[in-house]
Amino acid sequence: MEEAVDISVDFAGIRLANPVFTASGTCGYADELADFTDVNALGGFITKSITLKPKKGNATPRIVETDSGMLNAIGWANIGLDKFIEEKLPIIEKMSAAVFVNVAGESIDEYAAVAEHLAGEAAIAGFELNISCPNVAKGGITFGTDAVQVTEITSAVKKAAGEKILMVKLSPNVTDISVIARAAVEAGADALSLVNTFTAMVIDIETGKPVLANKTGGLSGPAIKPIAVYLVNKVYNEVAKNRGIPILGSGGIRTASDAVEFIIAGATAVAVGTANFIEPGCAAKIVEGIKKYCVRKKITNIKELTGSLGIG
Amino acid sequence: MAKNHSAANRGPFNAVISANKQIGQRFYRLSLGFESAGAKAFAKLKPGQFAQLDLADTPLPPSKDIPEDLVDAARRKILLRRPFSFSDVINKDRKTLVDILYRVVGPATLRMTTLSAGDSVNIIGPLGNGFWVPRGKKQALLVTGGMGAGPLLHLAKVLTADHHGIEAIAFAGAKTEKELPFEGQLDEISQELGFSLAEFARYGVESLVATDDGSAGFAGPVTDCFSEWLGRAGLAGKDMIIYSCGPEQMLAKVAEIAEKRNIDCQLSMERMMACGIGICQSCAVECKVNGSSETVYKMCCEDGPVFDAKEIVFSS
Repeated sequence: MEEAVDISVDFAGIRLANPVFTASGTCGYADELADFTDVNALGGFITKSITLKPKKGNATPRIVETDSGMLNAIGWANIGLDKFIEEKLPIIEKMSAAVFVNVAGESIDEYAAVAEHLAGEAAIAGFELNISCPNVAKGGITFGTDAVQVTEITSAVKKAAGEKILMVKLSPNVTDISVIARAAVEAGADALSLVNTFTAMVIDIETGKPVLANKTGGLSGPAIKPIAVYLVNKVYNEVAKNRGIPILGSGGIRTASDAVEFIIAGATAVAVGTANFIEPGCAAKIVEGIKKYCVRKKITNIKELTGSLGIG
Repeated sequence: MAKNHSAANRGPFNAVISANKQIGQRFYRLSLGFESAGAKAFAKLKPGQFAQLDLADTPLPPSKDIPEDLVDAARRKILLRRPFSFSDVINKDRKTLVDILYRVVGPATLRMTTLSAGDSVNIIGPLGNGFWVPRGKKQALLVTGGMGAGPLLHLAKVLTADHHGIEAIAFAGAKTEKELPFEGQLDEISQELGFSLAEFARYGVESLVATDDGSAGFAGPVTDCFSEWLGRAGLAGKDMIIYSCGPEQMLAKVAEIAEKRNIDCQLSMERMMACGIGICQSCAVECKVNGSSETVYKMCCEDGPVFDAKEIVFSS
């Protein structure tokens, strides 16, 4: 019966076996989750942020749990481009999911350099431009909250990325996310990824100080899901739909029902993040759950579902 | 299959609770049993390794049983798994039984108190690297602070069973007598040497107790008690090894003592963790780079939780 359901999706010109990704920073560089789940069951995979040089990351505590969520302030701790190419690319080559490398940096040149070095790698489907990380002093969100800078960095990385898909990951920490989304698309983004985490703070009332060493962190998990669904729907209606730009929706997805909500709101695909920490096999389960939903709703092709939000 | 890990099966497994015994005001010992693949994985658990328990669906105790200082914390819906180390492992009839010593400190451990025989809990593990025993040691000195006693009880058992050439001595510290996570703690097995804990005594391991407020044993920090004992010790530093688990301030002091006396020392570190499997990069431990003034962050979950004391950079 399940063969009758087609959940493969066209994502910016490539065919994905299914619409489920694992989100950057929650699934390692390559197959780190392979001990717990079949990584080849995924439609897409996004690596941890890669910078030109290795980065140590922030001091600890780097995380704190909140009500139905968590704050993180890792600070782009990563092995750097050279080691990524040497150690991780050979593993990525064997993965069947479409692999996107999350690109980060302190300057536009650094972002562009990372993309340029990887643009010729056949193992990679594209890039996710991280201009929305709230936990670094330079780069990240400082680029992603100003439309002029978004235009500049997106054009520069697009040029460096060659034929690869360029997906821009948006921050929700802006007055109007559609303004930023439009700037990214008009500067050459092939896809949009939203949302990154919400800047947040937890205070230890005994010490009167923030719990995180970085003071603030990014809020993720089920707590942000309804806001993320709303923002995906807003960007879909105001920017993506008419331009044919696919959205990768994320924010608190733990179940197939959560994923379906994002798809109805306008996401072509979804990314599972924080939930990987708790249930490393949950993305694979979500793939199966989406199929079951489609069967139950007599949907033969998942694209019928994308942006199908009924109003009124 | 694209896979570069050679790691054994780490779950998730379902474990069935066999007992959840209150052993002190806020202390419990949770006993869990694994069968089939889980039993196989946990049968090889090394002292100091840990596991991640999913307690999000475990119910809270009735409100009358929630301590006043945890009433607000109890309101919080938890999300992440919680890491625990083990105080014992028993392999029997193809089953593996493990014990976790825990103290009620927040919304997850509060939920844990409601687990009872027959309930099941989802576990990822065993995780991380445990304590190791270098060759040629004659004496193992186990320094524990509060809940840090758990993995060192397991280590005491393993040393006694598998390393006959090594004599183990435990130094168990806590703020007060009530915060010593032991049952029948002051049974007077050896009054001359101070107090002896039955939990260590059953492995033939002598133990000294220290409490900050002097309510049991040595009056003062366990590190002072340990230092004084070392001053009287008969063996050379190279023949000894220190194993320690407890609050970070205590571990820093233990590392300082070990360095001064040139004794090998392994410390079990603790950090807030999200995944426990090397993905989230939350549980960073600042470590020295050999032969340089630079430092790197290692992951408590995958590189530790047991580290060579010489590596660790303690924040002052």
